[in-house]
Amino acid sequence: MEPKDREQLGCRRKNLLFLRPRLYMLERRNTDTAVDSMAAGDRAGPLRRSQSDRTEYGQRLQEKMTPQAECCAAESLTQEEEQRTQRMMTKRLRVIQELVQTERDYKHDLELCIREVVQPLRDKQVDGLDVDTFFSNIESVQQVSATLLSLLEEATTDVEPARQVIGDVFLQIKGPLEDVYKVYCYHHDEAHSVLESYEKEEELKWHLNHCLQSLKMIYIQEGKPNLLDMGSLLIKPIQRVMKYPLLLCQLRNSTPAWHPDARALEDACASLRDINVNINELKRRKDLVLKYKKSDEEESLKEKLSKLNIHSISKKSKRVTNHLKILTRGESQVKDSTFDREEKIFRSVEKMVRCCLRSTALCLQHMQDAMPLALRCVMQLRKIALSGDEEPGPPEGPQSPPNPWDDFAAQLQRQVLGPLGALLSLFSGPQKLIQKRYDKLLDYEGGAQGGLARREFEALNAQLVEELQVFNRAARGLLLSCLHSLLALLRALAGQARGLYLAPGGLQVPPSVPHISEIQSPVLEEVHSLGFVKDNSATFIERKLSFEKKKPAQMLPETRPQTDTHRSRLLSVYSAGELYQAKRRCNATQEQDIPLLEGELVAVLEQKDPLGSSSRWLVDTGVAKGYVYACFLRPYDPARSRFCDNDDDFENISLFVSSRPAGDSGTDSGTGDPSSSLGGTRGKSESSGDAEGFQEVEEQPGNLTVSLNAAAVRTPTVGFPLRLTPSRPAQIFYAVHAFEARSAQELSLQEYQRVHVLRLCDLSGNEQWWLAEAQGQKGYVPASYLRRMTYA
Amino acid sequence: MSWIPFKIGQPKKQIVPKTVERDFEREYGKLQQLEEQTKRLQKDMKKSADADLAMSKSAVKISLDLLSNPLCEQDQDFLNMVTALDTAMKRMDAFNQEKVNQIQKTVIEPLKKFGSVFPSLNMAVKRREQALQDYRRLQAKVEKYEEKEKTGPVLAKLHQAREELRPVRDDFEAKNKQLLDEMPRFYSSRLDYFQPSFESLIRAQVVYYSEMHKIFGDLTQQLDQPGHSDEQRERENEAKLSELRALSIVADD
Repeated sequence: MEPKDREQLGCRRKNLLFLRPRLYMLERRNTDTAVDSMAAGDRAGPLRRSQSDRTEYGQRLQEKMTPQAECCAAESLTQEEEQRTQRMMTKRLRVIQELVQTERDYKHDLELCIREVVQPLRDKQVDGLDVDTFFSNIESVQQVSATLLSLLEEATTDVEPARQVIGDVFLQIKGPLEDVYKVYCYHHDEAHSVLESYEKEEELKWHLNHCLQSLKMIYIQEGKPNLLDMGSLLIKPIQRVMKYPLLLCQLRNSTPAWHPDARALEDACASLRDINVNINELKRRKDLVLKYKKSDEEESLKEKLSKLNIHSISKKSKRVTNHLKILTRGESQVKDSTFDREEKIFRSVEKMVRCCLRSTALCLQHMQDAMPLALRCVMQLRKIALSGDEEPGPPEGPQSPPNPWDDFAAQLQRQVLGPLGALLSLFSGPQKLIQKRYDKLLDYEGGAQGGLARREFEALNAQLVEELQVFNRAARGLLLSCLHSLLALLRALAGQARGLYLAPGGLQVPPSVPHISEIQSPVLEEVHSLGFVKDNSATFIERKLSFEKKKPAQMLPETRPQTDTHRSRLLSVYSAGELYQAKRRCNATQEQDIPLLEGELVAVLEQKDPLGSSSRWLVDTGVAKGYVYACFLRPYDPARSRFCDNDDDFENISLFVSSRPAGDSGTDSGTGDPSSSLGGTRGKSESSGDAEGFQEVEEQPGNLTVSLNAAAVRTPTVGFPLRLTPSRPAQIFYAVHAFEARSAQELSLQEYQRVHVLRLCDLSGNEQWWLAEAQGQKGYVPASYLRRMTYA
Repeated sequence: MSWIPFKIGQPKKQIVPKTVERDFEREYGKLQQLEEQTKRLQKDMKKSADADLAMSKSAVKISLDLLSNPLCEQDQDFLNMVTALDTAMKRMDAFNQEKVNQIQKTVIEPLKKFGSVFPSLNMAVKRREQALQDYRRLQAKVEKYEEKEKTGPVLAKLHQAREELRPVRDDFEAKNKQLLDEMPRFYSSRLDYFQPSFESLIRAQVVYYSEMHKIFGDLTQQLDQPGHSDEQRERENEAKLSELRALSIVADD
């Protein structure tokens, strides 16, 4: 045994070192049995001598048999029985030899495989070739095999056949054996599918074949040309582990009951079978899990429908009834408290991860909004508060301030959100399986398919319980670690932000809050005492007040309505041609104007005002004499006088005239310009929409309401002089400056060119552009370029 | 006001000296810019305050969500962690609230007060503009009559126009002078006015972040096992994730 041992590889030696205490134990145990058998042998002394021609095995056998033989005389042991035991022992020897030999071959195969295939592939590091999934833990398998072989050899070499105890060897190694093979078998399926995918790719296939060829060469040299392909290489360990129970069973059958190995073999056989069952179960569970995990994914509606047959429907309906039963009965019969606990934890963890992810992301978003904004505010205020008249050069202020939050966001993404997101995506698989487990539970309780449902349920349950614990532990750990990261990041962020704010300020002990108002209020007072502020804010308020007060006050003195006596006097004094009627109510806007109410009768004394303008006429109302705009008047027609109210479209004329700014009309009247009303409109349009324009209106409280609509009705009102008197020279203007048309809609003008203005605004109502006609062409021209032709 | 391109060629006698007009434009321009700045700042400050509040609310929500999770009842480690986090977040929220209040009092309100002066200024400028227009128009009228033949009615009108012109001109000049005088004063007052606000704003932020830093620093020290570096943590996370992915119950696609 010793020289053989030295031949082994280094790894094996290490292994043996590790196993040394065990080996000692084994030796001790062997000697114990030897002592026993020696004692038995002493008593069997004479018999042994009498059968000295027998083989050593026979003698050993006899030793075991002797206690009885001694008592009941040697003759009772028949020749036949002896022969049978002898046959058994021979067979046993053969089986043991086979066992050792095959184990040796197996180990050799594995070594070759590792040396010729696994190591080269690993060294090459071919892209896309995952050696680890491919061969999984084949090295550990080889080690276990080597250990087993050494133990077997130790147990058989130089030990008398009757004392060879094989069962113990297997019992000793069963722990590591199970662990190692479980892993290997567990991954074999994957390895197989990976192999299939590799064979589709030329390059990888070439690499694999290359290694395989060298391996084949070796095999052929050794005279064992039975290697087929990669698959057969991969499946070898599985075949081997399945072989163990068979061999042990054979060994047990050929071991006489008195043999010290019998009992151990029995145990070993059972445990090896258990190992196989466990491995099988593990694989089955995995398959089951994979089946159900996949079941809902990547399945189209069509496939789902196609699966919907009588069987599945009845299954589903049974589940529903069972579910109802459980609901009504309260407790389920089958309970697994570990699973329940783990499931609860699982769900809590999931919820927690989800919450945490969502609110952290939200918080991050808010932070990204808030923090740059806050900094920008500081920068703005700094610009306002600190800059002198000349803008300070950019280098002074941190032009592109370092952005701690960008960094923070990236870190947060990497350390918190990323892992949490990844974690969250892992929850769906177990969830599906938990659901499936419940379904199976219902099947099981319903007793639908009895054994199958139960086995499936148990497999699923076992797998879930086992893995959920791992899952929960890891997920919790991850979550905790993420929270730690979050805290650390927040802390770092706060530190950086503080540094950022400290830098531009460079401030000492800043004043406290009341102090600030103490500093600021005198400044503000000073500002308020500035002339323009005082004037304008004061007038502003005054106007507001006057607006409210004047309204009733102004109405009274100015409206002295015409009475019938006045009317009849006018009718009698003036001729019908001189009589006119007010179409609308009009207010006095200038000195010497008189207000008129709608329908009031007036006699026109003169069809112009003192400055020669024909737009204002001197009239007599019977009450007083004064000026009135001609456009408010129409010739008096006694027949129509009753229905005079609603005959015109210039509903709001009064409003636009009366709302003219007082200053404007004053100057207009000076020029005697007949288009003063237009000027008024323009002036107003320029200022309308701002506070000033509004206040002008306020001075005529009576018309406030209508004037608010002024913008809406401006177009018709502007157009009225043209329509009223189409041939008036009022529409003839001349160009003050030359204007060059920039588009087809515009009209080119030369200086002093005469134009007819057709409309005093453009299509959108803009009064800065008028529609004009000159030399048969029409187009828009800027109003400010035109002046009215006067005949002075 | 509009149609600036057309104004260029307008024949007009310069009644206001160009330099005066330029000074005025410059001063008013600066003030307009200032108004624009304060308006924008005011808006931004408000937005910023809202955003700050939203931020701390969402931060508090993280810990509240966690605290309400049933897992906390089962797991002492978690409970400790989450309660500590919750306390920290609430304190942060309180500090944030205080910061926002402080800023409101020392920055936003003064801004508002300062901003309320601008309408008066604008109105004053508008009035000046109007007065100027009137002045121009009347001036033009006077000139027109001066050029004309000096007949009786023309002389009467000239006289009338001159009479009208005088108060308008005085009015304009008074307004112009006042504004030219006062606008720079107003403009420079902003320095004294906003300096304390600025300092207060900086102070509020610095205090806030110092507190945050302290709170979270204490917390990490209280919770953390010997300080893990970021890389370590990342590696651990990665290891945990791959451990999870290796489970057969986890869909690995």
